[in-house]
Amino acid sequence: MQHATIEKSIPLMAILTLVLVSIGGLVEIVPLFFIKGTIEKVDGMRPYTPLELKGRDIYIREGCYNCHSQMIRPFRDEAERYGHYSLAAESMYDHPFQWGSKRTGPDLARIGGKYSNQWHHAHMMRPQNVVPESVMPAYPWLAKNALDYGDIDKRLRALSKVGVPYTEEQISSAKQDLMAQALAGGDPAGLNKRYGNKVTKDDFDGQPDKISELDALVAYLQMLGTLVDFSGYQAQTR
Amino acid sequence: MSDNQEVSTTGHQWDDDEGYPLQEYNNPLPKWWLYTFYATIVWSVIYWILYPAWPVGGDFTKGVLGWSMHKELREELDEANAKKKNVNEQLARMSLQEIAKKNDLLQYSISGGKAIFGDNCAPCHGQGGIGSKAGGFPNLTDDDWLYGGSLETIQETITQGRTGQMPAHLKATGGAFDEAQVNDLTQYVLSFSGRSQDAAANKRGDALFHGDAGCNNCHGDQGNGSLKGTAGGQALPPVGAPNLTDAIWLHGADLVSIRESIAKGRSGVMPAWGKGSKEVGRELDPLAIKQVTLYVHSLGGGR
Repeated sequence: MQHATIEKSIPLMAILTLVLVSIGGLVEIVPLFFIKGTIEKVDGMRPYTPLELKGRDIYIREGCYNCHSQMIRPFRDEAERYGHYSLAAESMYDHPFQWGSKRTGPDLARIGGKYSNQWHHAHMMRPQNVVPESVMPAYPWLAKNALDYGDIDKRLRALSKVGVPYTEEQISSAKQDLMAQALAGGDPAGLNKRYGNKVTKDDFDGQPDKISELDALVAYLQMLGTLVDFSGYQAQTR
Repeated sequence: MSDNQEVSTTGHQWDDDEGYPLQEYNNPLPKWWLYTFYATIVWSVIYWILYPAWPVGGDFTKGVLGWSMHKELREELDEANAKKKNVNEQLARMSLQEIAKKNDLLQYSISGGKAIFGDNCAPCHGQGGIGSKAGGFPNLTDDDWLYGGSLETIQETITQGRTGQMPAHLKATGGAFDEAQVNDLTQYVLSFSGRSQDAAANKRGDALFHGDAGCNNCHGDQGNGSLKGTAGGQALPPVGAPNLTDAIWLHGADLVSIRESIAKGRSGVMPAWGKGSKEVGRELDPLAIKQVTLYVHSLGGGR
């Protein structure tokens, strides 16, 4: 078919354009319909607790993803340094996911539990105090700023709209769960009932009577990569 | 394409009334480009057949080669482990003392331990184990140990972790003593290193140290720490209370730092790295812990 034929006939050109765009669209969109089949069935994944979720918001606000990835690739060097490669299931409740593509700093997909809360505190105040050769900037305001969690239930609600399975009970007790995770007292039994017994309750920022932004961020970091129970995970031949 | 060659046009003319006909050249794509383009299309089809490609009904096409990234990783790891298998099995059987006597195995362990240390331990203890004042992370290159510097104790510290608890003493931060008493205690602690400025306060602090505050129960009657010290002739529990008489300070040597330690208390957590430990995200296997132990022991302070 000659250019001239196509270019001189608007209907023909419109139809051919539609056909072309449809093919491109189908190839890119149809696989998404099958995405459920590509997410591994694993034990242990749960939606983030309200405190972890706020920490994740701070992670995004401070642009941590600009230098830290959360994606361990299936290569030997990464497996030996960071641990088991990341599974799709591990970011299924992330909106948006934090895989990142830049590693000025190390990958954080399995940072959870690797270092103590105390270390995270010292590191955020001034990274060079604990890692002299680090180029990471300091984030001292995180410990000073009180965490603003007035809208936490709305955040859970918003995520439930895009498919994160928060229950009505989890949404209505979000504030209470957030306080229970960061402060002594509170209702840890309720938090454990709603999010499982593995949830870490702690004074994450070294300030027992205050919920700071650092509390939320450290709670989030300490959870990263620890949810999936790999003892029951049979690596599929993928 | 040179100018004097005839190039076909799309055949349409615009503006030909004006005497300057506008036409569009119909330049074909260079042949090499076109065929490369076709070749990539053919290659993509071959690729779909050979490798995992299309999601189909909850699964995906596996490709005739049966290749997968995860399988390749497993093979690579198996291969690497097979190479180390002999020597690792040997190390697993041997005690730390035995390994320390065999120079080639010791060097192998130390270089392996160094790599493991660099990733897991150095964030707190610093590259080369020099420690950090910022979080009270101990220096591992000196011979001032909180729990002991023998191979076995270092191994135990890494496997089980340690929690050091210095309680708060000031009323305002949850303790039982007032400002003046805390100042007295500070003066007395400074006196261990000959730096007390106030004899009267020093004396009152002495009484508190061995009396109501009970500092000697962990730090010892002479203040030389739970490892070396004694209280009333009895050995002290292994609580990791530092020696207060030497020049090595975990949280700072100056008056202000020492006073803060007494007033607010300190807690130092060394996470447990052994198998089955819930504290850490990544467990180290016993062999890795052996290697780190030998590395730490080699840093200079090992006993």
